[in-house]
Amino acid sequence: MRLSELQVGDKAEVTGLEVEGSVRRRLLDMGLISGTRFKVLRVAPLGDPVEIFFKGMYLSLRKSEAEGVLVSKQGRIGDSLPMGRQLYRRRKQGGVL
Amino acid sequence: MTQLTEITVALAGNPNCGKSSLFNALTGSHQKVGNFSGVTIEKYEGYVDFKGYRIRFVDLPGTYSLTAYSPEELVTRHYLAMEHPDIVVNVIEGPNLERNLLLTTQLMEMEVELLVALNMYDEVEAQGMEIDVKQLQQLLGCHIIPTSAKARQGLDRLLDHIVRVYSGEIQIRKNKLAFRPEIEDAVEAVQAELRHEPALDGRKYRWMALKLLENDREIYREVHQSPVWLKIERILQQAMETTGKLYQADPEILITEDRHALIRGTMEECVRMPEARKRSLTDYIDAVVLNRIIGLPVFFGVVWLIFHMTFTLGTPLMDALDQLFTSIALWVSPLLTNEMLRSVIVDGVIAGVGGVLVFLPNIILLFIGLSFLEASGYMARAAFVVDKVMHRFGLHGKSFIPMITGFGCSIPAIMATRTLKSPSDRLATIMIIPFMSCGAKLPVYVLLAGAFFPPAVAANVMFGIYMLGVLLGLLTALLLKSTILEKESEPFVMELPPYRWPTLSSVLFQSRVKAMMYLRKAGTVILLAVLLIWTASNFPKSAAIERDLALETARIEATVLDEEAKALELTAVENRASAAQLEYSMAGRTGKLIEPVIRPLGFDWRIGIALVTGLAAKEVVVSTMGTIYSLGDVDEEDTELKNILKHDPAFDQATALSLMVFVLLYIPCVAAIGVMKKEVGSWRPVLLYSSYALTVAWVFSFITYNVARLIL
Repeated sequence: MRLSELQVGDKAEVTGLEVEGSVRRRLLDMGLISGTRFKVLRVAPLGDPVEIFFKGMYLSLRKSEAEGVLVSKQGRIGDSLPMGRQLYRRRKQGGVL
Repeated sequence: MTQLTEITVALAGNPNCGKSSLFNALTGSHQKVGNFSGVTIEKYEGYVDFKGYRIRFVDLPGTYSLTAYSPEELVTRHYLAMEHPDIVVNVIEGPNLERNLLLTTQLMEMEVELLVALNMYDEVEAQGMEIDVKQLQQLLGCHIIPTSAKARQGLDRLLDHIVRVYSGEIQIRKNKLAFRPEIEDAVEAVQAELRHEPALDGRKYRWMALKLLENDREIYREVHQSPVWLKIERILQQAMETTGKLYQADPEILITEDRHALIRGTMEECVRMPEARKRSLTDYIDAVVLNRIIGLPVFFGVVWLIFHMTFTLGTPLMDALDQLFTSIALWVSPLLTNEMLRSVIVDGVIAGVGGVLVFLPNIILLFIGLSFLEASGYMARAAFVVDKVMHRFGLHGKSFIPMITGFGCSIPAIMATRTLKSPSDRLATIMIIPFMSCGAKLPVYVLLAGAFFPPAVAANVMFGIYMLGVLLGLLTALLLKSTILEKESEPFVMELPPYRWPTLSSVLFQSRVKAMMYLRKAGTVILLAVLLIWTASNFPKSAAIERDLALETARIEATVLDEEAKALELTAVENRASAAQLEYSMAGRTGKLIEPVIRPLGFDWRIGIALVTGLAAKEVVVSTMGTIYSLGDVDEEDTELKNILKHDPAFDQATALSLMVFVLLYIPCVAAIGVMKKEVGSWRPVLLYSSYALTVAWVFSFITYNVARLIL
C-alpha cells in the first residue's frame, strides 16, 4: 500500500521508499524510514497536499510524492481509546459504527 | 581599550529551532547582515563581550541535514569545513528533540568542537516531557546546555561553556557514531585512500568517506579527479554489492537508518514523553486555519489584513514625516542665497529623497507583518494551502514564499528562489516575481490612490492592483511552463512548524534589516538618480525663455501698481517660464520623444520622464514627479505632491489607475534586472522578459485607462 492511498484519520507504518534522488534524500532526512509510524492528519483545502504527523512533527507532502512511500496500514486514529470513547468519536466523525 | 581575544562561534540548527531568536538574545544590538561568499544567502553576524573575550556568532542557515541538495546545506557544510569556526553550537528545538538529533549526528561526524543548546527548554517542561540531560550528554559526548531564548534562560551558561571550551578547560570528547560493520569497513578503506591525496591534507577523512558512501555530489566532485579515485570507486562499488546482498539496500539508506537507530536508542534511554499526548495549540489552530472549507478564506483574509495594516497604520506616520520634510525645506531655503544651489538642495535633494523616505513607515510595517507570518509558522501553512493552485500554474507551493517576498522587494525574492531545486521552477518563479508588486512601487500607489480616491476606496484600489499583479504573474507562469520551459517540478516535502508566538526582537530585527536596505538605497542610488534628474530637468537652459521672463517681469513691475495683483501675475509668469524651461530641457525632450507611445495610456511627457527615471528604482517615479512638479511651484506652504497632482488638469482618476497598472507591470528596477541576470546566468531570458513585461504593461494600462474613462 502507498501513503497516497491512505484516508484522513488512518494510522500507518513506513515499510519502504520507492523513489530516487532528491525526493528520497529529503524523505529520509525528515525521518520517513522503515518502521516510522505516522497518522494522516488532513488534506489541504484544495485536495492536495496531505499532512501527516509523526515524532512530534507535522509534515506536508504532495500526493505525487506520497506515492513513493510504501506503508502498511495500522488502523485508525482513536483505535486505542476505550470502546465508549471510540464509539463517541466515530459518531462525531460521521463514520459508520 | 585593550584588544579582546575573539572566539568565532557558528550557530547551526534545524529551521524553526529558535536559532535566530537565540542569536538575537545573545548578541543584542551588535549585529550585521551580509552574504555568504558566492551565494546570496543572508549571513547574520553579531558579537557579545563576555569574561574578557569577544564572542563572535555566525548564524548559519537552518537545515535539517548536511547533504548537498540545497544551497543552505551546502553553505553550512562549506562554512564548517573550510572556515573552521572555533566552536559550533548546535541549537536544538527541545520539544522536537528526536528529529533535531539527525543534524547533531551529522555535526558529530564532521568532528567539530560541538556544544548543544537544548533550546525552548521551558516548552519541554511545560509539555511534561522529561529529558535526562546528563545521560544525553554521556551518550552524545558533548556538553548540553538547556536554554530558552524567549525566557532568556541559560544564555550565560552557554557563553560560559563557550569560553571554557575555548580556553581548554573543558575537553570535548567527540564520540564517533559507529555504523554497522560493512559500512565501517568501507569507511575505513576509503579513509585510507583519501590520506594518500596531498590535496586533501587536513580535511576530515572519515566524514568525506561517509559522504562518498552516501553518493554526495560535492565531495565526489572534489575527489573524482584525484588519482586515488580509481581505488575509492572500486571500494564504493564493493560496498554497494555487499550491502545489497545482505540488506537489500544501498549504503546511503543504511547510513541514514543507522543514524536514526542511534537516535531512537538515545531517545529511549534519555527521554520520557508524557503519557498521553494532549492536543496542542497547533492542533487547535490548524483545525481552523487548514480547515477544508475556511482554509482558503482565512488565507486571503490574512494577506488582506497585512496590506490594510500597512496602509491604515502607515498613513498617519507618513503624513508626519512629510510634514517634517516640508519644514526642513522651509528652514533650509532662506539659508541658501545662491539660486542654483538652493534649487539643487530644496527641489532636488530634499524633495526627491524626502519623497522616498516618507514611505519608510509603510515598508517597515509590511515587513513586520511578513516576518510575523514567517516566524509564527503561518507562512508554511500558506504554502500548504495554495500548493494545489500553484502546482496547477506549473509552480511549487514553495514558489509562494519568494512570491510573497516579492511584495517587499524583488531582489531578495529572486534570491530566495534558490530554495527551488528544479531550474525550470526557478526560472518561472523568477520571471513572475516582478509582477508581485514590490515595496518600492507602494509609494506610487499610496501617492496616486491617496490623491484621487477617498481613504476607504484607496485601500481597495491598492488591494486590486496587488491582486492584478498576482493574477498576471500566475498566468505568465502557466504560459512559460506550457511553452518554453520544461514541465518537471521539484518535490514538495515540507515541515509545518508548530505555531509559536515570535519574539518581538526577531520580528523587529528582520524589519530593521529591510528598512536599512531601503535607506541605503535611498542614500545612494536614489540620491544619484535624483541629482541626475535635477540636472536633466534644468539643462540646457534656454536663453530665449530667460530673456522673455526678464522682459515680462520688467513689464509687470512697471505697469501693475497694486502689490497683490503684481505678486500674482509675477507668479503666473514664473510658472509659465519654468514649465517652458522644463519642456526645453533634456528630460523634457526625452519625455516628449516617448509621448506618442504613452499618449493612448493617458500619460503626458512629464509622466514619461518619471517612468524612464523609475528604471533606476521604482520609488524614483514619485521623487521625479516631486522634482518636476515642485519646480513650477512657488507656494512654499503647498509642497505636498498629492495636492499638486489633484489640481493638475492632466491628471484624473483614469490616468491615476492607468499609471498604477503601468508601474505595477513594466520593467523592474536596474538592481532587480542585475540580480535577475546573475541568477539566470544569461541576458537572453532577461531581455525576453523585459520586452514581454513592457508589452503586458502597455496593453493592460490601455485597457484600464479606457475602461476607467467609460465608468468613472
